[in-house]
Amino acid sequence: MTILDGATDPTRLEPRPALEAREITKRFDGVHALENAGLSVRPGEIHALLGENGAGKSTLIKVLTGIYAPDSGTLLRNGEEIEFANVRVANHAGVVALYQELSVIPSISVAENILLGDQTPSRGGIVQWKTLRRRARAQLDSINQKIPLGMLAGDLSPVQQTMVAFARALAMDANVLILDEPTASLTDTEITDLFAVLRSLRDRGVAIVYVSHRLEEVFELCDRLTIMRNGQTIVTKDVADSHIDEVISTMVGRNAGELYPDRGTATTTVALTAKDLDGRRVKDVSFEVHRGEVLGIGGLAGSGRSELLRILSGAQKHSAGEITVGETTLPKSPGVPRALAAGIALVPEERRAQGVILGASIQDNIAVANISAVSTMGVVSGARITDITTRGMRDLQIKARTPRQHVSELSGGNQQKVVLAKMLARKPAVLLMDEPTRGIDVGTKAEIYRLIRRLAEAGTAVITVSSELPELIGMSDRILIMHEGRISGEVAAAEADEEILLAYCYGKADAHDNLS
Amino acid sequence: MTTSRNLGVEDATDVRAVPRRSVGQKLLSSGTVLALVVLILFFFLMRPDVFLSFTNVKNILYQVAILAIIAGAQTIVMVVGDFDLSVAATSALAGAVAASLMISGWPIALAIFAALIVGLLIGLANGLLIAYVNLSAFVATLATLTSVTGLAFMVTEGTTLFNLPPEFNNLGQGKFLEIPLPVFIAIGISAILWFVLRFTTLGRRWYATGGNVEVSRLSGVNVRRARLLAFTVAGFVSAIGGVLLAARLGSASAVQGEDNLLFSVAAVFLGMTIVRSGAANLVGTMVGVAIIGVMSNGLNILGVNAYVQQVVTGLIIIAAVTLSSLKTRER
Repeated sequence: MTILDGATDPTRLEPRPALEAREITKRFDGVHALENAGLSVRPGEIHALLGENGAGKSTLIKVLTGIYAPDSGTLLRNGEEIEFANVRVANHAGVVALYQELSVIPSISVAENILLGDQTPSRGGIVQWKTLRRRARAQLDSINQKIPLGMLAGDLSPVQQTMVAFARALAMDANVLILDEPTASLTDTEITDLFAVLRSLRDRGVAIVYVSHRLEEVFELCDRLTIMRNGQTIVTKDVADSHIDEVISTMVGRNAGELYPDRGTATTTVALTAKDLDGRRVKDVSFEVHRGEVLGIGGLAGSGRSELLRILSGAQKHSAGEITVGETTLPKSPGVPRALAAGIALVPEERRAQGVILGASIQDNIAVANISAVSTMGVVSGARITDITTRGMRDLQIKARTPRQHVSELSGGNQQKVVLAKMLARKPAVLLMDEPTRGIDVGTKAEIYRLIRRLAEAGTAVITVSSELPELIGMSDRILIMHEGRISGEVAAAEADEEILLAYCYGKADAHDNLS
Repeated sequence: MTTSRNLGVEDATDVRAVPRRSVGQKLLSSGTVLALVVLILFFFLMRPDVFLSFTNVKNILYQVAILAIIAGAQTIVMVVGDFDLSVAATSALAGAVAASLMISGWPIALAIFAALIVGLLIGLANGLLIAYVNLSAFVATLATLTSVTGLAFMVTEGTTLFNLPPEFNNLGQGKFLEIPLPVFIAIGISAILWFVLRFTTLGRRWYATGGNVEVSRLSGVNVRRARLLAFTVAGFVSAIGGVLLAARLGSASAVQGEDNLLFSVAAVFLGMTIVRSGAANLVGTMVGVAIIGVMSNGLNILGVNAYVQQVVTGLIIIAAVTLSSLKTRER
């Protein structure tokens, strides 16, 4: 285990780093966001940057790309000390960060996206379209992508958009690429394509910093890893010498312990019945979930699992079928208010776009889903809002200064807890959760698994959709797998393994028989 | 409009929102409030004998009363994340309808009632087009602005209607305790709107919808109905302003109060800068209205002509909003 040490000169022992940060300290309002943090990336490696939310990864990246000026510490580019006054300077020096949400400009063509700004070839202010297309094509060719240059970037799939962003970075002669959660919205095959491109870039000598919460990916793709905790760099080592459990406990700073709580015993009382549901993607889906049961739903992206939850929550219309909660059969396409009233609550997939109002306080967010509970005759009671908020914050251990703190200032895990708190305040009989732990750190993940189990023990029926098979197996009592809109398999979680689930995911109906 | 904004609950009157700072400090930290204070000081120093006299303060209040009402209507729509270009046209039509009915012999109360219903229906039409037909607020209200102005010309036959009943004119010109009635009416309406926005479930739903439509929908808010209601209320309130304006002028024309469209949007924008979240809020809007009123009155006193006043108004808006955004960037 090599502890990163800025004082010794590493150039004699190993290849000279393409980009190195030494003893970086950055404070905000007197609070240390980074304290003697460091990172050293060699040319031709994929280097994972790991840590829980709030560990300082984003701040470090922003220092590396000139968005933040560090309070102290040094940056070295190919061994030479350098300062990045702003993002443009960093980009000119070949250091480019790609963020998921901002990867392309949707309203302009692929070619223009690849050669943006200074890169656009022009003569006397007139764009040279031929040159533009030729250069853009060359960049796409270099990463083996066949994306039509004239297409609007907004019409591309997420992975194609990422590829266009890569091409743009290459057009800027970037040889240090920083990627923040690049796979978050990609399907499995798209991830495979992405990894192939990343490997080819690495083989061309590009240094890649890879930030991800998906440790499986890190172990598949990366050469070395650096773990951060509380603003400090804890360790840098070869992936080959690392073990996933050890990485997790280093990130968390204690033994990760058992990530998943023990399974419970579901009752035989049916909480919700779905009968012959049809939607845009969902076809002929029927199932039951019992009080006290955690039902996991898996499947590939696009298999209809999210749509199923949206139909059950009333957020999306369905063309046929029946939803029954307890004794009550809901009217067709009931709409969210009626589904909520019947006791079905949804924790949606996209936390920031669907779960919380970022610019509003915690208590205002919680109030939105509980307006009638906190009001009398149309008049809202501030005391009752504060009351349910403090209770929710205590029960879920939301880390915030006050109930009036803006949700945008919270970490991803705490934002997710706010979404949970606002739905749990309604005491739902059936809780639907779409990717409940996406993009949140390991410690909070474990908390959410325990919470789900606690809810089930109190009699709630919980339905969770997850694209991570270990999570599906770990937290559920029973698992349904969807394939092309239909339920392709059902397994008791205790008997499930990833192989069986994956076979169902690909629609092999006889998977279970063949494998067992 | 941005999609992520605050539920506006921590508005300028709220001490607890940010600990360790008093209301006064909070207000002063906003460029907009600072601009108002500077303006008042400036005009006071220029004309200490006139500017803060009882008569002049009363004048300012009288001058801004109707703008305050229309800006209140605009605030509601902007809370939901939209805006309404037809507020001033709606008010003009409402004034014209009331005037024309009274001239043809309708009882005053009934004529006013009919005018208010007309405003409500225009608002309802805006709301239906925007919330249910999914037109953009810009397109829908621009279209109603055009048609409504046309209707107002039809009602007035392109002229100015006058010789309205003195009891009606008294609504706009009468006084109570030396203070003109429209001031009381404006204060009353503002207080009601403030209460609705801040303390009712409807206000909560409006702010939630303006904060993030999809989050609100998934939380069980009937987003379409919320937007529909916002435009309907805005139409109704605009009509009140229009009727009052006709009473104050003792006449009605198709174009009276045109300025109130731009000034109402400006007032709401100025007001949005006084809360941390940047959401439309009634207290802020009233600060914005005060800035516009103080400026126009002060420049009048100094003898600056109306065209220059308009130029300066635009500059003040830029200055106040810039100051506030500088503060945000520091954070």
